[in-house]
Formats: sequence, structure tokens, C-alpha cells
Amino acid sequence: MKGSSIDRVYVGNLNIAARRARDLLLGKLKLGEIVDWATTFSLWPVHLLTSCCGAEFAATWSPRFDAEQYGALPWVGPRQTNFIVIEGTVTRKMACALRITYEQMPNPKFVIAMGACALDGGLFYNSYNIVRPWEVVPVDIYIPGCPPPPEALARAILELRKKIREKNIASKWLIEGWRNDRDYVSPKEDVCRWWRP
Amino acid sequence: MVEALSLDNIINSIKLNLEGLVKSISISKGYIEVVVDASHIVEAALKLKSMGYDHVKSITAIDYPKESKIRVVYHASSYINEDLAKTIIGLTADIPRDNPVIDSLSQVWRSVEFQEREVYEFFGVIFREHPDLRPLLVIPELAEKKVLRKDFIVKEESIYEGIPHKY
Repeated sequence: MKGSSIDRVYVGNLNIAARRARDLLLGKLKLGEIVDWATTFSLWPVHLLTSCCGAEFAATWSPRFDAEQYGALPWVGPRQTNFIVIEGTVTRKMACALRITYEQMPNPKFVIAMGACALDGGLFYNSYNIVRPWEVVPVDIYIPGCPPPPEALARAILELRKKIREKNIASKWLIEGWRNDRDYVSPKEDVCRWWRP
Repeated sequence: MVEALSLDNIINSIKLNLEGLVKSISISKGYIEVVVDASHIVEAALKLKSMGYDHVKSITAIDYPKESKIRVVYHASSYINEDLAKTIIGLTADIPRDNPVIDSLSQVWRSVEFQEREVYEFFGVIFREHPDLRPLLVIPELAEKKVLRKDFIVKEESIYEGIPHKY
């Protein structure tokens, strides 16, 4: 079975990659496209395990599912990464750490919210101590499930890459200086308790 | 070789060691419940420690709004003494609900320090002479509300209230 040409680009095809490299060397591609192409193949998530979906996050990078084939490698320092996977519920104290980590990462940066808790509270939807992650950071892709399987996270990474390539998010972000295709999200609550003296 | 201590022997030795301090002693589900007066809790803990109970497994508090009291329970056990390690002591004291002050046991058992902070943030129990009494897991604004007391009512939310906006 032959997939569509666009599918083959996103999972990596040697012939297409060679053709693109040739176009790139001959100057047929714009610089912005190269930036988008490079960003999709280097989405490095930062280690910020908020909850139990972190086990699925670990399994995604295990040899069986091997998310490193998409160019994604979990890394420790937020200054060297451009991608956050929010694994599960975010408590009020963790929201501060999440926002600080997000602010420390260089542009362009992307967020995937994983699990029912990250979508709308999940098990803890009526709790006094959680916040919704989309009130704290701008989220690109949501993955439902409790917990989502590793395949779902791998698929979400592919969808994020598709989105970056089709909308040219990374290159536009670098050229214009900020992200125009969605609203800026700043926390309405005082997550780090810096507003009050 | 010394014979293994039975449960009755342990209860008898606790009665002997804590003479005059114990209000009541009974076998509860899974542990021996030792109720003492709140003013004697440090004394009782010191005597339990000299018996061989060298650590505290957990601390909890129970809120009784109708009787207007809060019951603080320290679950102590032993690592070194094999006979005592099979049992758990529930060192219990009742304190008034409107003025929940009790002496801290952090000078007796060092492992108590963090767990007392947790009881403080969830129930508002103030531990006297605690070295560093501030909230551990929740933010201070939430700790003021004393969230695990019975009269704290969690706001009911609809599942459909907060749908992420489209972009």
C-alpha cells in the first residue's frame, strides 16, 4: 500500500529527503521552509513529569515505540528544548513550575497536553488544588485518554509536525517575532504568587 | 533465646511504661490505639521511644464537627526491635476544634517534621515548638481554608464548564 505523499514526508522517506536536500542546495527552497523542516525533525521535549502519564511518556521513548525516530529526544535543560508534554494533572504549585519552564524555552516552542486530567481535570475535575493547563500555557495538541497509550503520543508528535509544516508556524514565529495564528495565553490566576507583595 | 512477645504482652508493657498517662488502650483494626491526654503527648512519646518504637509511619487527623474536636493520630512502629516491628501504635490525642493546638513531637521523632506540616496545612492544627511550620504541598491561600475539614465544601463544577477555546 502506498500512502499519500504527505504522509511519507512526515515519517521520513529517504528518496524524498534526498530530493529536498537537492532542492535546498540548488536554492529552490526558501529559508523559512528549511526552518520548518528542521524544527519538525528536532522537537525535543523537556523533562517535566507532572503526573502518572509520565510512565506512558517513558514508554514512548522505549525501544518498542521508539519516538526518537521522529527526531524527538527528551532533554533535561529547558534552554535546549522547544517542546513540553504536559503529562496529566497540574496542581497549583506545579503550574508555577510549568509556566517558568515554558518561559525559559527559546522560541519557537510547542505544547502537547496529554491525558484526561490535562484536558479538563479528569479524575480531579472537582478538586480545589488543580488548574487547567490551557489556562497557564498555550496548548497545541490535546490527547484524550486515561492514560493515552504510547502510540497516541507518537501520533500527536506526528500531528504537531504536520501542523508546523502546513502552517509554517516555526518560520513565521521567527520572522514576525511572535506567534500570530493563536492568542497569547497568560495565566489569569496568580500561579507563582508573585502579584501580591 | 528470648521468646517472641505476644500482643497482650506488648499491651501490658505499654500500660506499665505509660502508667498514669493512658486514658484508654484497645486493639483497633490493624494497630493498638493508645489514647492520651493532649498535654501529656510528648511525655508519652518519649516513653514509647525508650520502649523501642523508633519511627513514625504516618500522622493523620480526624475531624469530628458534632463533638467539636479534632483527633490527631501518630502511627509509630519499630525498625530495630523485631517483635515490636510487627505492631503499630496509634498514639492518639483529642484537641478542641476551635483552638487546635498540640505540642509537636519533632523533638522526639525527627521524621515527624514533614508530616506535621501536612496535617497543619490540611486541618489547621498548630504544632507548638515545631521548627518550621509552613504549608508543604498546597499554597498558603489554600492552607488557610483548611481543606480537609468536614465543613469545607468543594464547589460543584459542571464537566462542560471549561471547554478549551478554539484557535
